[in-house]
Amino acid sequence: MTGPGPWPAPTTPVAAPPAPPPPARRTSPLVVLLHTVTFKQARQVVPAAIPVVAAVGIDGPGVVVALVVAVTALSLLFAGLTWWRTTYADTPAAVVVTRGLLARSVRTVPNDRIRGVEVEAPALHRLFGLVRVRIDAAAGVGTDGDEEVVVDGVPRAEGDRLRVSVLTHRRSARPVPPGADPEAPFEEPPEEELARFDPRWLLYAPLVASYLAVPLAAVGALSRLLQELPRDLRPDLDGPELTGGVVAVAVVAGLALLAVGAVLGAAVVNWGFRLVRRGGSLVAVRGLLTRRHTELEVDRVRGGTLAEGLGMRLVRAARVNALVTGLGAANRRGQLFPLGPRPEAVRLLGVLVDDPGPLRPHPPAARRRAVFRAVLSGLVVTAGGAWLSAGTGFWGLLAAGIALTVLGVPLGLGRYAALGHAAGPRSFSVRSGLLVREQAVLQRRAVVGWTVRQTFFQRRAGLATVTACVGAGAGGYAAVDMAAAEVAAFTVAASGPWAAAAGDGAPPAAG
Amino acid sequence: MSAAPAPPVSEPAWSLSRSAIWLWVTEGIVGTLVYGAIVTVAVLLVPASVGGPVPVLRWLLPVLVGVYAVVAIGIRPWVRYRVHRWEVTAETVHTLTGWLTRTWTLVPVARIQTVDVTRGVLQQLYGLASVAVLTASSQGTVRVPHLEVAVAERVAEDLARRAEQVRDEAT
Repeated sequence: MTGPGPWPAPTTPVAAPPAPPPPARRTSPLVVLLHTVTFKQARQVVPAAIPVVAAVGIDGPGVVVALVVAVTALSLLFAGLTWWRTTYADTPAAVVVTRGLLARSVRTVPNDRIRGVEVEAPALHRLFGLVRVRIDAAAGVGTDGDEEVVVDGVPRAEGDRLRVSVLTHRRSARPVPPGADPEAPFEEPPEEELARFDPRWLLYAPLVASYLAVPLAAVGALSRLLQELPRDLRPDLDGPELTGGVVAVAVVAGLALLAVGAVLGAAVVNWGFRLVRRGGSLVAVRGLLTRRHTELEVDRVRGGTLAEGLGMRLVRAARVNALVTGLGAANRRGQLFPLGPRPEAVRLLGVLVDDPGPLRPHPPAARRRAVFRAVLSGLVVTAGGAWLSAGTGFWGLLAAGIALTVLGVPLGLGRYAALGHAAGPRSFSVRSGLLVREQAVLQRRAVVGWTVRQTFFQRRAGLATVTACVGAGAGGYAAVDMAAAEVAAFTVAASGPWAAAAGDGAPPAAG
Repeated sequence: MSAAPAPPVSEPAWSLSRSAIWLWVTEGIVGTLVYGAIVTVAVLLVPASVGGPVPVLRWLLPVLVGVYAVVAIGIRPWVRYRVHRWEVTAETVHTLTGWLTRTWTLVPVARIQTVDVTRGVLQQLYGLASVAVLTASSQGTVRVPHLEVAVAERVAEDLARRAEQVRDEAT
């Protein structure tokens, strides 16, 4: 089942500790209050508490008060115990976090695996003058994605100290350039601002599906809450008279609310967004209530994607994600440029990775294939409808089929218009997508393999879909339906001569 | 099929083990038996008097199973064997798989992370094994199906050793 155990697992070189390890530190005691208020730990006992409450029943204000007191006391107890049993230490070799009420767990993250440090200040934390420090580490072989160590609730000064200390240690865990002093304290290198938020960009939000989803989700949650309220607590509303005017006003008001909600949602997430390059890292700060501080190593960036949704294309807006090794596509930390004008996004993408030049369109056969695939379902429905109308005289299906077929043409043309690829001296690019047009620009070194796929029909049309396999983002980015004759030249130009894969060896013999 | 146009990238040179044909034939037989059993039960249990599309399906489904049997047992294994190719060169691992849809996969030895050898139940019957070459990308996995066990193990060992020597850390 498993492999031949090809090589020993890569061992992490841990520097011999030159000095006794620094003492284990505790988070601020204020965090106990914070977690009491938010029921952070006590939430876990809610499922167990529900049957108890159900058995006792809620009648009379006395019981309610007792319940509130009990829950608060319990929450305080849990928060206190958690605080008491949690320590952390940043040694020159690793960050160690020890926690657990009964079963102790010790997390040790070697410094050379640490990928970035985030200092967050959610709204409540700010009230207490606390921050949350998130330490991201590359996962070991075999585990998926990232590991994360969180030190929750330290004073702001201690948070900054921890961040600088971890970054200093991380730097000294790497090969030191000659002449540099590995023990020199970490100095913040000069910053270079790459992008700064402009509040006018929020006006793009109503055209972006993901921000539109924010108010819709809120409405959904609210209606669920109303459903679950006891009947006598539910507001008793009379249904208004449904006349044309009322409906029109309601629709307009609903759309306006949706737009305002989207803008508000975008503002909460992206307010004060700022992207700077600081030494070897890209640092992004954003957020109105929770300030998120994200750090990405430039060394691990393999490229970026420029995504434009249908609505965003109307107003020439775009967003940029960085493709970072070890970060999945869904990871929000790769988001470098949340939403803004396209020229700004393109400029930022140019900072991440060289521009490979203008995209080459795909051959006319690709357009024929895109249109044919888009109208195919319409044609099938039309044929079924024709059969049905000949048999029974029902023509509704036939009309729907014709409408689908006609609608398919612009759909296919739109899909074709998105296609393109380009290979430059140090980078290459592929683009596709109808609803969300995504252009991926990747460095040559990003490619860990190629997949070329030809269906029966693609073979007849002289087309092929070429996927560049990358250890970042979605794992692969495809040039859909490019001319089969150009594939070999493109793969070689975009990665290296190995992609020609000319071999003349003999097959290995058995035995 | 008309005269095949030139392939988009160079073809790998080596064929799979000939036993692969018989393994695919076995798979086709198993599949036919399963579909046949399902259709038999359906035809026996659902009377034609139900109406709707049932009378048509009662003869269409057995015909479809028959067509499947001919394709999966008589045609597909041989086409697959002719299409499937693999090759390990000085720098790359290279495969061509599929029968109607063809897929070339190419991975440089320097980007190999792990090499797995697996043997399924049917494969053990025919003394075959598959080699999977994994990289940092979820989509960049090269699978060489149905090699003779000894060949598969030698290839895996060789690739693992070479990958360790030329490993490129910049995945």
